[in-house]
Amino acid sequence: MAIFKKKPSCHGPVTGPAIKGKKVALVGNPNVGKSVLFNALTGAYVAVSNYPGTSVEVSRGSSTIDGQPCEIIDTPGMYSILPITEEERVAREILLNERPDVVLHVLDARNLERMLTMTIQLVEAGLPVILVVNIMDEAERMGLEIDIPLLREKLGIPVIGAATAKKRGLAEIRQAIAGYEEGRQAVFGYSRRLEGDIVTIAELLQGEYTLSRKSLALLLLQRDEEIARLVAVQEGERGAFVAERVKEKIFERRESFHLDLSLERKEIVKGLLAGVIRTPAQRRVTFGERLSRWAVNPLTGAPLLIVVLYYGLYEFVGVFGAGTLVDLLEGKLFEGWFNPWISGVVKSIIPWEIIQELFVGEYGVITLGLRYAVGIILPIVATFFLFFSVLEDSGYFPRLALLVDRLFKKVGLTGRAVIPMVLGFGCDTMATMVTRTLETVRERVIATVLLALAIPCSAQLGVILALLSKTPGALLVWSLCLLAIFLLIGLLAAKIMPGETPMFYMELPPMRLPQLSNVLTKTYTRMQWYFMEILPLFILASVLLWLGKVTHFFERLVDWMAPVMAAVGLPREAAVAFIFGFFRRDYGAAGLYDLQKKGLMDPRQLVVAAVTLTLFVPCVAQFLMMKKERGTKAALGIGLFVSLVAFASGWLLNRFLLTTGVL
Amino acid sequence: MIRCGYCGYEFSEEEGIRGCGKCGKPGGCRMVRCPRCFYENLPEPGTVKKMKKLLEKLK
Repeated sequence: MAIFKKKPSCHGPVTGPAIKGKKVALVGNPNVGKSVLFNALTGAYVAVSNYPGTSVEVSRGSSTIDGQPCEIIDTPGMYSILPITEEERVAREILLNERPDVVLHVLDARNLERMLTMTIQLVEAGLPVILVVNIMDEAERMGLEIDIPLLREKLGIPVIGAATAKKRGLAEIRQAIAGYEEGRQAVFGYSRRLEGDIVTIAELLQGEYTLSRKSLALLLLQRDEEIARLVAVQEGERGAFVAERVKEKIFERRESFHLDLSLERKEIVKGLLAGVIRTPAQRRVTFGERLSRWAVNPLTGAPLLIVVLYYGLYEFVGVFGAGTLVDLLEGKLFEGWFNPWISGVVKSIIPWEIIQELFVGEYGVITLGLRYAVGIILPIVATFFLFFSVLEDSGYFPRLALLVDRLFKKVGLTGRAVIPMVLGFGCDTMATMVTRTLETVRERVIATVLLALAIPCSAQLGVILALLSKTPGALLVWSLCLLAIFLLIGLLAAKIMPGETPMFYMELPPMRLPQLSNVLTKTYTRMQWYFMEILPLFILASVLLWLGKVTHFFERLVDWMAPVMAAVGLPREAAVAFIFGFFRRDYGAAGLYDLQKKGLMDPRQLVVAAVTLTLFVPCVAQFLMMKKERGTKAALGIGLFVSLVAFASGWLLNRFLLTTGVL
Repeated sequence: MIRCGYCGYEFSEEEGIRGCGKCGKPGGCRMVRCPRCFYENLPEPGTVKKMKKLLEKLK
């Protein structure tokens, strides 16, 4: 997890004041509401620091519970006390080294059966556990009835039903922490054979340990190397003898120890839950659950994706945002009223034509830069971000990751690559940076190439949708071309690049109805930042283009590109859009929009230009990010490759359309 | 608290990975990355935070 190294100034260790009093550790699976509970208990007094020697962050905060000062520690998510990931290792280190006075085990009421296994392990380890059965509200909505007092009786530890996000159960949790006294905990019995093995090893242990001997024996039998080292230190001279006995037992049970143990623990959980949990005869399957199932099943997921893309991208962003809103803002407001007015004002104030051109000319800062930014790009990104926020809040993206996992594996990626790909539809520069989260170098290179080539950024996508939505055939040709190139280049890359495709696993968060306030806040924030970012760049690009015009360099550049434009069947003026595109992808797409409005391109040329421009070299920022992430050689190679593929595809598409007469 | 738009993990702004400024955008993107899946999330805008504080004071 050391992928994102943080600057010390931002994320360096923060040493909080030493807190005397009870030490309370929060443990549990990820996504069960530990952090919500941590914040509810601690308030604002929180210190976040890296756990010594790791990149894993641990939050610590103070609280006064029943007049007693407490230190609350939010541990990283863990599934078992036998660690696999670095996060789990750190969480267990905290339990071992910090010897908390209370361990709050938070679990999800909807997944009691799966999560109680860890409760068994914690109780078995002799830790002072309080069980918080969280997210009770959603469990009740699903029709589940959980008998908390009976579970308390069976486990022999305090058990509290809670919904911490709704502040339910907080008072009881505080009370349980304040009044916690170690008492008799339940003892879980395994089969005679397993118990025999545990006793054999446990009886050999004579050192001083935080965890119970039974728990240590089980961890040793599961080949936990850290515990083996700990035991070697604690047992001193006897260490070698203990290790030898453990080795013998592991050899005896080499075939099915892990499976047997997990099956026996499952049986214990079943026994614990008998009479505790009541599910309705016909469990109410919520609409969210049904939708979730449809979204991940290829048979229903693919049509659902098409529906989402059609109504979300085509109808809402393309037709409404890029059509209706752009016509209103760009056509009526800018072209009809603002530009003539500002031109008059500027010309009356500034007598020199060359300076007038800088502000209100063909490439003027106001008449081109501001018009593109406010009139064309802003309404498109606004609708795109609104649609994006709705999808994000509903929990659709992780389902999309599962849906495309099989397809992505064919192109050398996994479902995890959906994160950079989806982010690429927002901004390819950031998405290129996010490729570092992929597991292997092979995946990162393939994802970088595909992002540079076939994933248009939000503004570019919007403008292209606006351009092509008036001729749906052109839009279909553009979509099919991009999909084909994405798959073809991906398949080739997967064949050429050596290495294996890693496994992909992720836990699905529940699907929810997006909250309007949340969606609007996100859209507003994204738009605000986007606008602040593009406006200076658009103005700078306008100035450079103006400079190019007054020095006649721009004309020469267009002349140089004319043969390439002719080869792909585009008018000479289309070179302008490609030059714009190098400053920013959306700037180039807006240039195409202008050409279309002037009636300089027919549907065939439009779709050829749109495909070539989408595939063409990414903007300067993305190129610099590729250089940073993959190195200069790789970035130059990708840049050259992408340009060649773009113009070759444009040429091929033009020939195809001319021959077949499809458009 | 931020709920990750991708994996649904809930984390505080301090817990998230933020402000690397490596993208070359002026002042960085200010997004907060989820510590679990690295998806970029939006922190709560300052104005919304201020409004919430004001509401809490009024309560």
